[in-house]
Amino acid sequence: MRTFLAVVSFSLLTVGFFAAYSNYGIPQIEPAPPPEVEELDLAAMSMDEFVALGARLYQGRGTCTLCHTELGGRAPLLEEAAAVAAERIADERYQGEADDAAGYLYESMVAPSAYVVAGFGKSGTGDTVSPMPNMATGSVGLSEPEIRAIVAFLQDLGGFEVTVEIPTEAVEEAPEEAGEPRPPFATPEEAIAEFACGACHKLAGEEGELGPDLTSIGARRAKDDLRRAILQPNADIAEGFEPDLMPDDYGEQLYAVELEMLVDYLAGLKGP
Amino acid sequence: MRTAPTTSKRLRRAALIALAAVLLVVGLGLTGADIAGFGPGTALAQDVADAPAYRPAPQPGPGDYPRVAGVNSRVVVWLAAQLHLWFAAFVLAVPIFVLIIEAIGMATRDERYDKMAYEFIKVSITAYSLTAILGGFLLISLIVFYPDLMGYLAGIFKDSMFYYALMFFVESACLYLYYYGWHWLQGGFRKWVHLTIGLMLNAAGTTLMFLANAWLTFMMSPDGVDIAGALTGGVWEAMHNHLWNPINLHRFIANIAFGGSIVGAYAAYKFLSASSDAEKAHYDWMGYNANFIAISALLPLPFAGYYLAAEIYAYSQQMGITLMGGIFAWLFIIQAVLIGTLFLSANYYLWCGMGRSDGAARYNKYVKYLAVVIIGAFLVWFTPHTLVLTNEELKALGGPYHKYLGPLGIMPAKNTAVNVMILFTSLSFLMYRRANKIATVSWARAGNAAQAALFSAGILNLLFLGIYHGYFTNTAYKVAASVPQVLTTLIIIIASNVLDSFIYRGARQVAPLHWGRIPDRAQYALFLLAVAFTWLMGLMGYIRSGIRQHWHVVGIMRDNSPEAYTPTLGYAANVVSLGTILFMAMVIFVFWLSQLGAVRTDAAGFWKERGA
Amino acid sequence: MRRIPKIPRLLQAVLVVVFFHAGFVLVFDYLLAQVIPASLLTMYMFFVVVGVFMVFTFTEDSAREMVAPIKALVEDPSKRRTRNVVFAIVPLIAGGFAYNHMLPRFEAPLELRSIHPAPPSSVKIGDKRYNLLTLENPFRETETQDPERFAELVAEGAAIYIANCQYCHGDKLDGKGPYARALNPTPLNFQDIGTIAQLQESFLFWRIATGGPGLPDEGAPWLSSMPVWSDFLSEDEIWKVILFLYDYTGHRPRAWEQG
Repeated sequence: MRTFLAVVSFSLLTVGFFAAYSNYGIPQIEPAPPPEVEELDLAAMSMDEFVALGARLYQGRGTCTLCHTELGGRAPLLEEAAAVAAERIADERYQGEADDAAGYLYESMVAPSAYVVAGFGKSGTGDTVSPMPNMATGSVGLSEPEIRAIVAFLQDLGGFEVTVEIPTEAVEEAPEEAGEPRPPFATPEEAIAEFACGACHKLAGEEGELGPDLTSIGARRAKDDLRRAILQPNADIAEGFEPDLMPDDYGEQLYAVELEMLVDYLAGLKGP
Repeated sequence: MRTAPTTSKRLRRAALIALAAVLLVVGLGLTGADIAGFGPGTALAQDVADAPAYRPAPQPGPGDYPRVAGVNSRVVVWLAAQLHLWFAAFVLAVPIFVLIIEAIGMATRDERYDKMAYEFIKVSITAYSLTAILGGFLLISLIVFYPDLMGYLAGIFKDSMFYYALMFFVESACLYLYYYGWHWLQGGFRKWVHLTIGLMLNAAGTTLMFLANAWLTFMMSPDGVDIAGALTGGVWEAMHNHLWNPINLHRFIANIAFGGSIVGAYAAYKFLSASSDAEKAHYDWMGYNANFIAISALLPLPFAGYYLAAEIYAYSQQMGITLMGGIFAWLFIIQAVLIGTLFLSANYYLWCGMGRSDGAARYNKYVKYLAVVIIGAFLVWFTPHTLVLTNEELKALGGPYHKYLGPLGIMPAKNTAVNVMILFTSLSFLMYRRANKIATVSWARAGNAAQAALFSAGILNLLFLGIYHGYFTNTAYKVAASVPQVLTTLIIIIASNVLDSFIYRGARQVAPLHWGRIPDRAQYALFLLAVAFTWLMGLMGYIRSGIRQHWHVVGIMRDNSPEAYTPTLGYAANVVSLGTILFMAMVIFVFWLSQLGAVRTDAAGFWKERGA
Repeated sequence: MRRIPKIPRLLQAVLVVVFFHAGFVLVFDYLLAQVIPASLLTMYMFFVVVGVFMVFTFTEDSAREMVAPIKALVEDPSKRRTRNVVFAIVPLIAGGFAYNHMLPRFEAPLELRSIHPAPPSSVKIGDKRYNLLTLENPFRETETQDPERFAELVAEGAAIYIANCQYCHGDKLDGKGPYARALNPTPLNFQDIGTIAQLQESFLFWRIATGGPGLPDEGAPWLSSMPVWSDFLSEDEIWKVILFLYDYTGHRPRAWEQG
């Protein structure tokens, strides 16, 4: 028994030493959390912001600087990338289809093997295959606007005018998840806030003017009328207001309980 | 002792039938696997029309990860996987060296080897069912906590998973035949049958490991699937992905070292609690052999590790940099401390073992030089590239880079150091073997000079390669130097052992060798070896899995669970420590069980008396 | 012939450990003038102690000899007094050590930061983007082509330096200006061979122009109190100061490697 206890305490001490060293002997670095999938508001973006977005992606989620850096020499430096694009396109080793600098840069990210800078190819392929992954897929997985933003950044980096265009709409949204239906709203206020009724109607503290004032609608309309006004907004247009403004798909967006909840709520609004 | 000829004949026939049956099962297993599409696309092409299309990988959201019993699902799966792996490594490794020891015993006709081999396998037999239980627990935890991932993997690997399950029958059959038939299948032809069963046991076990390795390497370096994760290239491509063989090799070698160290701990424990000198002598001998196995497998392990790391780089530079230069960089300092511990305790055990004979005292004075070199190389090895500095030190240095210690932090220095450490460990071993002998061949002097020249030239070559290629050429050559360094080390180890065996052919013993004459401290070195090995395996298992970061299947299936983040090293070390303690508790239980069968309690008066 | 009394085994072991410790400190702190970090020294010494233990205990005789004094101290009735003293002192030392370690300090907690981070390949100052890989001092060529003009430029640079920089970096450019002692990290000593002599002029331009706040993330948290000089000095003025720095210290800027 003595031997047993001695051996057990010796082993526990050893484990304790290893654990203590790992906890206190080395600096504890809190790794960055997994990258979020950022949503881009491209419409409201100036070119400077677009370039800045590219710079963020270049240094962050795109993980470009892991290889494109002075240290290590794993991949060519990109300061001159925009400048040499024309030369590259004219090069006989060029396999791609781009005809301008922006196109060349874009292509270099989604089809890196189109032109492999001498000395940077996968070993044994004689500079015909690039070790770089496709930036649009795999673990990096940038969207098209994001890749364009990096092109913009690279053009700016080289001191050139940015010729790439900001895409006006998000070209390829991540496929909508077919998953869970949303849970129904618990209160009419929540539903009104979510569907932004107040943007057009005077309702619930909002001052919308595109649609009729609803603060005293319960005094003027019966429940059946209200229900129809939500489901088929163009069936009956209140005087002085434009038709076709209100979306007509609330019947698909609302659950039945929510519709009834809203109708009850509106019917209860009898004005001040 | 001879049995009657008729019995012998019947036995032989029975053995042959058993052998044929097992071979048939293995054969069927393999061909069946081929039919199911392991061969590149043969079967697929046939029924491509009516085969259901492979679905892409699911993309579960944060809500798709069940919370069960309020436990942290990652930690549960982590511990289950690690414990299963430890036991699996143990039960896979033991039959490998048991078979080798048995064969040595058969070749030398030295019965001690046979007895030791039997004792080794006896120790592992209870661990076998524990491996299966933990495997089941791991599987259930994975299905419960990560249903989408397991559904996806099972969709791709359904054939190999099915054959994996079937292989268990083969392995169990072989194991039980091998173990329970040990004393039955003795002598001449029967020994050959027994050895064959042992070989099949190993083939089955290794096949099992390779199959499971394919699934986890698929998660690290997926192949044979398109970017959405739908299978396009066939199951064989998915299995034969980029990191499969590097992991197979690395695990195969590491398992042997690990198994050796665990058995060594068993022998050490038995030694410490032994009451008679004969028992002590037996367990000392067993511990020595276990240590020898562990160290022989440990020496080539760093090279297998380089190969694996190089292949990770080749597969994805990003993954490679995350591994070596990113958040995991400090993990390699911990690893250095642990591997250093392994080398130091192995050396210490060898030095202590020199006390078994009186002839070794001649060599005692050299030990301190060995120690200085090994410790020195070790210090170089674990010097971190980024030093932890106080503000005052920072001020005094004028920056965080140390002019003289900085260069020790990079790979060329570390490669050189570890090669020197390996060389000197083999020198320790050489010295141990020479300790009690005096060479009688006429050219002994010349032979010794040749040995000295060999080692000096080798060490000079290592230093030259490390220093010149590491510091005086441009970056591209730094990695290139490690291959000639490894070759240098391997050549010296092999050449010096061969040369020594010639020099000491027919050598005279100085004094008799007393097995069992070794201090208790040396046994603790064996425990240290086992604990450090277990812990190290846990740590490296963590990084192997951790470099996937927030991916279930890298680049294809993202991990959206709340635990997808990478923890700090301290947290990981705590989980590993917990796992190690659990593993040790279970191993102690297993060892206790293995000797329980021989314990008899005399319960006189309990049973009712039968009329005599 | 006088016999040298044999040093007891235990003392030998202690002496070897002390020898290595002193050796590390002597070699690094004094001979090489690059202090050995305390964290590293602790780990080094831990394994030196392990190594000494291994060498001193691998034979039974040596181990027994080494443990004998300790054993005697604990068990020998005649050593009662020594034992009591030792048993009182050891916990006191441990307590004192723990107390000293737990004591609150003025020193800021450890941070992993790099003072000389790798420069970015280009930097935007104001509206202009400078490519640091190709950037050169526009006045450097006057050194060979127009020595008189060069001397003038250096003198202008000196005036700018005295007006702006010497408060911290010192009038001898040795990093010992009137304010230097209040700063941590200390201002750089330009006379030292390890500072501007190792750097290219473009690096200096970048550090002067963007100051502490311009340090990249890997240098974070930037503690450097170097101001953003591009807010106060023109591009030409910065280049002139750089000329002066090299001229006064006699260093040469690191050149672009050929080929």
